Amino acid sequence: MIVRSSSQVSRSRWLRRFPLPRNLGVAAASRIGPGKHWSAPAGARRLKTIEVYRYDPESGGKPRLDSFEVDLDDCGPMVLDALIWIKNRVDSSLAFRRSCREGVCGSCAMNIDGTNWLACTRHLSETGPRASIYPLANLRVIKDLVPDQSHLFAQYRMIEPWLKVQGAPPERERLQSIEQRKRLDGYYECILCFCCTSGCPSHWWNGDRFLGPAVLLQAWRWLTDSRDEARGERLDQLHDPFRLYRCHTILNCTRTCPKGLNPGRAIAEIKQLLFERQP
Amino acid sequence: MHEPLRPLSPNIQHYRPQLTSVLSILHRMTGVLLAGAAVALVLGLWAVAAGPRAYGIARAACVSPLGLALLALATWAFFLHLCGGIRHLFWDRVRGFELATIYRSGWAVVAASILLTALLWLAAWRLSP
Repeated sequence: MIVRSSSQVSRSRWLRRFPLPRNLGVAAASRIGPGKHWSAPAGARRLKTIEVYRYDPESGGKPRLDSFEVDLDDCGPMVLDALIWIKNRVDSSLAFRRSCREGVCGSCAMNIDGTNWLACTRHLSETGPRASIYPLANLRVIKDLVPDQSHLFAQYRMIEPWLKVQGAPPERERLQSIEQRKRLDGYYECILCFCCTSGCPSHWWNGDRFLGPAVLLQAWRWLTDSRDEARGERLDQLHDPFRLYRCHTILNCTRTCPKGLNPGRAIAEIKQLLFERQP
Repeated sequence: MHEPLRPLSPNIQHYRPQLTSVLSILHRMTGVLLAGAAVALVLGLWAVAAGPRAYGIARAACVSPLGLALLALATWAFFLHLCGGIRHLFWDRVRGFELATIYRSGWAVVAASILLTALLWLAAWRLSP
């Protein structure tokens, strides 16, 4: 299948996960046990079952996989609607982040049927017969579908994502030509949902030192900004075997971006800039 | 990272394989396999130089079912790694990053590796006495 847009869902029924043991390299505290089945309220006719990763730090238990029957006649069309429906009607303790419900804020990023996407822009009809909802991959789970992203935001902070200039502030706006402004297209739209970074195998194995696609896309957004005067300094900071060069162009990032952006290309641009800078 | 007692959400155990990640891991695995194949190639050349007895053993190993299967695997690995490497050269020049192009070039690498392996074996079969 040729995938033309990251919004395309794979229809293939085989190789849904890598043929590896479920608990390969998984610490005891992270192993997922069997969970509860929650039936739909009586009278529901059009049902869909979704499996949801649960973890409650206060109960002291392990993560588990609950299954919920959702009444489609009583529920909105999106995965986020189903989660809200479950929270309202079935289990009010279900925890997840959400805010804008229209793909602008990036809060409800999660792993839906094995790939990362925003729950608010994924139709329930696009999910499998037993949809699976997990938190974003490879992050420490605070509760249920709420992962700890503080490390990711610390990495974002590291690239100093603001305009850096020397000298006194100008009297008026810093102007850009249409061409210069255009170079930010495809990069400024990033909402920092971290779907890409959480789907990047390089970041899984070296996330402590590799900055990951979301942060590197942001790094490129500042490198390519005609108003920024810290290009050399920014490149110095990225010129590192781990921070930048752990990217092996796997391109899971570009495949999964819910905004249709291209972190893979942004990283290639940075690598090329560093290559051209070499004496 | 703090709170080491918090569970880690599953990564490779759950994330769906896609052409992107599958070709990436195959590129690495074929690279490792080719490193082993290079050693085998040197052993084969040594056997050719070491006289009829060593050559006979090497030849018998190569034409045994297991030997043929390994040779087929090694030649396919060679072509997959070669084509994948060429794909990487384009990426190094920031070309071919549109998602459709990523998928087209990916499937092209798969198809080319199979086709070239078949052609090589056809040629070998035609040329063998």
